[in-house]
Amino acid sequence: MIGARLPLLIDIAIKHLAGRKRQSVVAVFGVAVGVGFFLAVSALMVGSQNDFITRLIDAAPHIVVTDEIRSPRPQPGTIAFPRGAVILRHFKTRTEARGIKDWPALVAAADAVPGTIASPSLSGGITLKLGGHEEALGVIGIDPEKETRVSTVESNLRAGHLRDLETTQGGLVVGEELAARLGVGMGDVVAATSASGATRSLRIVGLMKRGQTAIGDTSGYVLLREAQSLLERPFIINRIGIKLRDPYAADPVAKRLEARFGYKAQSWQERSSDILSVLVTRNVIMYTVVSAILLVASFGIYTAVSTSVSDKRRDIAILRSIGFSQGDLQLVFVIEGLIVALIGILLGWMLGFGLMSALGSLRFPIAGETQYLPLDHGARQYLIAATASLLAGIVAAWLPARKAARVDPVDILRGAA
Amino acid sequence: MIALEARDMVRTLDGDPPATLVAGASFSVERGRFTTIIGPSGCGKSSLLYLLGLLDRPTSGALLVDGEDVTPLGGDARARLRLQHFGFVFQFHFLLPEFTALENVLLPIRRLGALDATHASERARTLLAAVGLSGKEGKTPDRLSGGERQRVAIARALANDPQIILGDEPTGNLDSKNAANVVETFKSLAHEENRAVVCVTHDPKIAEAADVRIAMLDGRIASIETGAVAM
Repeated sequence: MIGARLPLLIDIAIKHLAGRKRQSVVAVFGVAVGVGFFLAVSALMVGSQNDFITRLIDAAPHIVVTDEIRSPRPQPGTIAFPRGAVILRHFKTRTEARGIKDWPALVAAADAVPGTIASPSLSGGITLKLGGHEEALGVIGIDPEKETRVSTVESNLRAGHLRDLETTQGGLVVGEELAARLGVGMGDVVAATSASGATRSLRIVGLMKRGQTAIGDTSGYVLLREAQSLLERPFIINRIGIKLRDPYAADPVAKRLEARFGYKAQSWQERSSDILSVLVTRNVIMYTVVSAILLVASFGIYTAVSTSVSDKRRDIAILRSIGFSQGDLQLVFVIEGLIVALIGILLGWMLGFGLMSALGSLRFPIAGETQYLPLDHGARQYLIAATASLLAGIVAAWLPARKAARVDPVDILRGAA
Repeated sequence: MIALEARDMVRTLDGDPPATLVAGASFSVERGRFTTIIGPSGCGKSSLLYLLGLLDRPTSGALLVDGEDVTPLGGDARARLRLQHFGFVFQFHFLLPEFTALENVLLPIRRLGALDATHASERARTLLAAVGLSGKEGKTPDRLSGGERQRVAIARALANDPQIILGDEPTGNLDSKNAANVVETFKSLAHEENRAVVCVTHDPKIAEAADVRIAMLDGRIASIETGAVAM
């Protein structure tokens, strides 16, 4: 019958806390500061991590299939005798013609996964000339409509659109720094020379923002057909970028494609496994620091409840003599810890919200653009902070509360009489 | 009618050698009578009272409340019995300092939970009025005099209408006028309300006013006298 007596026990707990205002307030503030800083720190950490991963994922397609192979094709003898006791080494591997063979089948296989888009491209080196000035350029031939959906190139354009490549004969998109070095702007014409010496004129229809590390300053986009004719490799492509609906499915899809077609298919996870392992370390550090904060907060509750128990030994004896049970008394002090934790959590939420707003209003000029701190405002962090503090609070209050239950009223009565 | 019956109750404390607080007490306490336990300091009279009030357990022997052996009962059942059937008044008032007079009297009523808030409050006010404390319900113990505090304690002891009232030197801290008041109250609780009242005291005036005097010496019951002493 805990229901009927609970309000009374809560009353007693509140009176105890109110009678020891300073200690209660200190304990509440301990929890509040712990929760508040947990929220601020984790919002920053989770926010920056999500932002980082988004950039990581979106910087390039989720899966990139190239015309490389990870190991040479097996020798005919090895295929003929799979269990044979012969190991062939140091044989001369066959020189393969570069380019992905049968790429329409690969694109079709990738497109078969729902929500997936595959964008084939051909890249190669050309030289741009204007007057006496020459610049090397890695040119990438693309299908603008598909590439727009697969990569972030379109959103990183300072001027123009990728689709302008289709409407302009010999259209070219380059980085604004390269354009500045050549002294050209939108609509200007530059001469392009391929490795085999073929020359043609290209017109600049788009400029990419500076500082896009993934694409680089020395790359430019042209139409796929244009690249194939400029590089004299008609119908050839050497790279397929694949975007998935669920980025985290990239690894298994990449493995499947590689197993089926033999070409190296690299997922973003594989591409950035070193960085992802850094993130794990970062998370471990964060949760260690944050747990320490919450642990300190629970020490506050422990101290408050523990001193309350020793101060109230007389009251405990009185209540026991009136007819309160040991369980009642234990509950009173657990409730004290819970009240401290709950008020602390509420204040901590407010503090955390305030800290987040303050952090969120900070402005950072990066590369000429105003940037804000990436903060995660999800309810999840609030819940984690509240749950952790409540659990810590219950444990911290429960330990001294057991002492309250064990107080023998006769000892107190004898001592007082 | 017998309210409490002690059967060869022994209480020893662990130690080397073990200390004997109560060495084989056998007697009964009747309703409608004012019983006192007297004896010199350290004779075990308070220890005996704690045993009678279910605050302590006998090392051996048995205690019967209304004919029922309560010795084997667990802590929660004993707490329940104290709540419903026992009222304690101690030498020091033993009120909760943060609670007002009314709230102190309400503690056992609310813990029992038999009355709703309105009726509980009504009952507590009636009890305080009966001990002459109307108008002082809202005062905390530190704003009451010693005699007033002890009267609040008596009101609280009566909160759940218990049939057994136990006093541990209830007048020890009071002046003679207040002490006489308390004794009168205890007598009327026994004689007019037919409760069993047991009071530990070394005050001969209380002992003289009692119907039954149990004299203790060195943990043993030395004598049991019945009948009022002629003044």
